[in-house]
Amino acid sequence: MTVSPLVPPSPSAVAHRKSAGSETARTTQGNESPLQQVQPVADREITEQLNDEVRHKYIKAKKLGEGTYAVVYLGHLRTDPSSFVAIKKIKVNTEYKDGLSMDAIREVKYLQELRHPNIIALHDVFSSKDQNLNLVLEYLPRGDLEMLIKDSNVHYGVADVKAWMAMLARGVWFCHENFVLHRDIKPNNLLIASDGEVKLADFGLARSFADPYLNMTHQVITRWYRPPELLYGARQYSGAVDIWSVGMVFAELLLRVPFVAGNSDLDQITKICEAFGTPTEENWPSVSKLPNYIPTDGNHLVPLQGRDFFLRHFPTAGPVGADLLMSMCALDPRKRSTAYQALQHSWWSTEPRPTNKEDLPRKSGGTKKMGDDLTRRGGELDDQFKNAARQLDFAAMKG
Amino acid sequence: MIEDDFYRTSSQFRLWSFTEDSLRSLRRNTNTLASDRVRDALRRAREARKSASSSAVGTPNPNASDADSKTGDEKDIECLTPEEEQDLVRYFCEQIVQLGESYKPPLPTIVRATAIQYLRRFYLTNSPMTYHPKTIMPCVLFIATKTDNYYMSLRQFANGVPGDTSAEDIIAPEFLVMQSLRFTFDVRHPFRGLEGGIMELNAISQGLGQPAPHNLQQTSDDLRRAMLSLPLPPNTSSSSISDRLARAHHNAREILKSAAQMTDAYFFYTPAQIWLSALLLADRPLAEFYLDTKLGGAGPDPTHPLTQLHAKLLTTLHNCSTLLQSYKPLASDPDQKKAMRRIGKKLYHCQNPEKVNNLAGQKRIPAAAAATAATASANDHDHATPESEMEQIAKKRKVEGDARRKDDIFGGELVMERTRERQGS
Repeated sequence: MTVSPLVPPSPSAVAHRKSAGSETARTTQGNESPLQQVQPVADREITEQLNDEVRHKYIKAKKLGEGTYAVVYLGHLRTDPSSFVAIKKIKVNTEYKDGLSMDAIREVKYLQELRHPNIIALHDVFSSKDQNLNLVLEYLPRGDLEMLIKDSNVHYGVADVKAWMAMLARGVWFCHENFVLHRDIKPNNLLIASDGEVKLADFGLARSFADPYLNMTHQVITRWYRPPELLYGARQYSGAVDIWSVGMVFAELLLRVPFVAGNSDLDQITKICEAFGTPTEENWPSVSKLPNYIPTDGNHLVPLQGRDFFLRHFPTAGPVGADLLMSMCALDPRKRSTAYQALQHSWWSTEPRPTNKEDLPRKSGGTKKMGDDLTRRGGELDDQFKNAARQLDFAAMKG
Repeated sequence: MIEDDFYRTSSQFRLWSFTEDSLRSLRRNTNTLASDRVRDALRRAREARKSASSSAVGTPNPNASDADSKTGDEKDIECLTPEEEQDLVRYFCEQIVQLGESYKPPLPTIVRATAIQYLRRFYLTNSPMTYHPKTIMPCVLFIATKTDNYYMSLRQFANGVPGDTSAEDIIAPEFLVMQSLRFTFDVRHPFRGLEGGIMELNAISQGLGQPAPHNLQQTSDDLRRAMLSLPLPPNTSSSSISDRLARAHHNAREILKSAAQMTDAYFFYTPAQIWLSALLLADRPLAEFYLDTKLGGAGPDPTHPLTQLHAKLLTTLHNCSTLLQSYKPLASDPDQKKAMRRIGKKLYHCQNPEKVNNLAGQKRIPAAAAATAATASANDHDHATPESEMEQIAKKRKVEGDARRKDDIFGGELVMERTRERQGS
């Protein structure tokens, strides 16, 4: 396994290996039965046999959550009831006549390729009788970062933020190194494993980097975490879009509220301008050529914010931390730091050291939260409303 | 070698890379399995018909063609060989290129290339005798539009498929295909690597080249001078370096679009090995120069790791380019065309009759109807198919086949039909 430039401290790496053995299913290799070793059985196609083998490895236990798009079950290995997995069953959408939906295709496509400690592991994929797709995912019982941010009973400090951010940055770096854009980074897509490791989840909006000059959609990333170039309708963009989201998560971890929470796309861009400064041709060359660029009249121009602004608003980060945050929040995507640059930043090696992941603050109720997170469709905008809807789902659910 | 580590985690390496022996035995295995099933199915159909006709003793048979087909079936059926199956699949890979070309605008090269690799992967564990490539081919192309971000609706896609192929026909085998792909959709192509290599060569030609880490005393100017003094590839007249690079780029890309897709290159070699081999074929001195900038030339010390790596890499690239060179397009080769017609006729007789209608059971269906379908496909498996149904299938195939065979081997070459339609309108 490739490791990021910022290598995790070795004691926790060892601990991770141990805990992975005892608490989560180690089934990745099981996916790999070489085709040529399959012995034909009367009247089963080779691929059907392989599928049956995979399906029989797991037992679905109880339902953890249900959304419009998927149902998530707690499951375990047939041979080892203590090795838990989450089984995400993607519903056959009767409305969608074009076969398997894009969300499902993207999620499966990228998770099959990305193996990294900070990315949710896809152990297996199998189909059940009714042609539903089942993703066997790593079991992440400690909920997500959103849960910790919002609960005022959970106390955490800058060393904890540093540990979480380092894990997030490594996961994002790995995606980008593999030419994959996540396009929906936000606190409730950052799930927490039993050993405290943060895992990037929900690849329903992910895609490979486009070739130069090819257009992509700008309708991605949940609004509060969406960078200005996407709000301005840019169709060609880079890993910098994810870095903006990482910066917004960083700010939210420090403030414990979303930093720029617009209630419409227009409001979002207004709030970004108020917070970080108004994009102009001077601070962001050719910004005015973006399709949805809105010129600001001269009287309302907010100057580009400097170091002192970040230090003033995020004192807990310290001057070095504020500098890293600022580098992630550059309006001009070309000036924003890359994941690699972020990992080279001196904040990580500045005191205080990041908390060991085993010692990070935790909170119960994570399993249910995981069920919630894994059933949500990517990029959903109205979080308040969706939360309400999900609570209804859970009220109807027994156990 | 960090990039190698990345590649080794890819599904292409984990699941879809083979040695020549392992690939051959896999194909043989698939072929044997399918042939046995075809023989069994035809025997069952024959026995069913026998018992049906014995129970109807004394009744004159009003349908003479039934008697014909019976004598045909009595002979032990000749199944396709693994080699014939491979030729057939290659033919349909070429059809993917043409079908993709016929859209307005044409489907991107990458979408077509992905579809071709899906089709090739599908037929490692499935036989054309079980699932006819003509039904699988449009489906893999549609899946590739989804996995490679070239969004179009099924309806829109179906409109581009000639003949009476409906949207439902196209999507019906989707789940079967995805399962055979083992739910891995990412295909690592050599195209982007080629673009990068050409950009580096262009930079060198403009005096902007970066020296390799093992040769830091080299300057950008040294690199440029070395490039300009390269011998020309055979059969070319001298031209400016930018023209030479453009020609090498174009020719290598053509090889990647054709030979790299139609041969087993993706199963045996990495994307980097494939594009470097294509560049070797397009302009050998230029490709060798490029490798030298990365690895250093064949140094004086044969035990030096870089020298050894260089030698090893050249052997691999040589083998890969030999494979790429072996490809001849069907359209330009009358012998292959003739052979394809023969294989097509053979396939007509050895299609597994029990699978002809089975795709209906693979259709994506509303949950409510799923139970019914499950029952239906269960019936398919216990061979309790009523005789009359078996016979109907056989008849249907015969009638359809007679109507189509006149002008074509597979019921109309898709794109040919399309061209005719266009000329007609």
